[in-house]
Amino acid sequence: MKRAWIACICLAPLLLACEPEPDAMLLLDQLVVSTNYDTNINFETYSTYSIATDTIGFVSNQSNDTILVNTKSTYPRPVLQKVVANLNSAGYTRVGRNENPDMRINVYVVNNYDLYQQVVYPNYYYPSYYGYGYGYGGYYGYPYVNTYESNTGSLVVEILDLKTVTPDKKVKVIWGAYMGDVYSAIDVIKQSEEAIDQAFIQSPYLHN
Amino acid sequence: MKRYLIILFLGVGGIASAQDNYFYINWDVNFPLTNTEWVGATSTRGAKLGFRKFIGSERKFSVGVDVNWAYYEEYKPTETFLQPGGGAITTDYFNDIFQAGAVASGQYYFPLGNGSRFFPYAGIGLGAGRTAYKVSYNIYTDEEDSWGFLARPEAGILVRLGERRRLGLMAAVHYDFSTTKSESYNYDNFMNAGFQIGIMMMQW
Repeated sequence: MKRAWIACICLAPLLLACEPEPDAMLLLDQLVVSTNYDTNINFETYSTYSIATDTIGFVSNQSNDTILVNTKSTYPRPVLQKVVANLNSAGYTRVGRNENPDMRINVYVVNNYDLYQQVVYPNYYYPSYYGYGYGYGGYYGYPYVNTYESNTGSLVVEILDLKTVTPDKKVKVIWGAYMGDVYSAIDVIKQSEEAIDQAFIQSPYLHN
Repeated sequence: MKRYLIILFLGVGGIASAQDNYFYINWDVNFPLTNTEWVGATSTRGAKLGFRKFIGSERKFSVGVDVNWAYYEEYKPTETFLQPGGGAITTDYFNDIFQAGAVASGQYYFPLGNGSRFFPYAGIGLGAGRTAYKVSYNIYTDEEDSWGFLARPEAGILVRLGERRRLGLMAAVHYDFSTTKSESYNYDNFMNAGFQIGIMMMQW
């Protein structure tokens, strides 16, 4: 009787472990698009920008690479072309780096790779009776290590203000778009292009 | 999961001693009643199980323990949220609520027929509940977890499949009030109504 009560009470933690998860596939078919900007800036006073053609930056805690280039990846070029198309549609004009642009466009991927390890000590017991033979009957589970990894990344597009360079040559980010997760994306190029479009749609102040 | 629940059902049923009692496991369908703009969809993912022991030989009263869980989920299409300071975030997302509780309960049984197969009852359970309010978007989640007091009036019926059979069916309706709150998602408490149906193992 008492054991039945206790068993029922003990089921509560088991039920807590039943917590389901939402349908990931539904959520991974588009990137989350977050934008921010400097509200003190009047973007109508900017007219030109410069941007790389086929190279985007790469910031990672698992790789020494600092750039993604079109010769090694199909990702940079369509992403950059989409950024250029949106900036041009907004009324800005692309110029060369040496043509004194008002804005510099930085595009890069931030990759965060995490590795978690957990030591698991299995249940073990040594019977204190001789039912399984004197000196035997014990089972010992050796500890083992569970390893979990997560690999996440965001595509970042930034507009740097080249009209206001500080005396020590620092420039300010006046607009930023952060789109993720590119590592879980189902079709990363298509979703990145759509995310870039969305970043400009939700930034109507970016018009010349 | 089903296999474990069946094992538990049989196990706890077997543990119960030869006193008048029953163990049940039910499928639980729930309807949220609080802040239904956030999650208003009916939950069909829920279960409730418990053990109840009769007091006295007339089987008019019982006391017991009930544990339950329910999962509410609602998909929200892509939306743009404007942030303070000029930012904006666009995403589709799931709002979901995971509710679990454990209550000590008491029931009164109304006489019906010769009192050997049908046992309509009304009762109330009081205990503790946990409600996890969660927003999932892409791979990211925001969650607020809350524990609180849980009160659950309930009315139902036990139907013994045969006068000499220990197996029976159970159906009940219940209303849950929990003080589990969430400031982030605008819940002062969480209330839901539910309908449960399942099987029980009688011991008498």
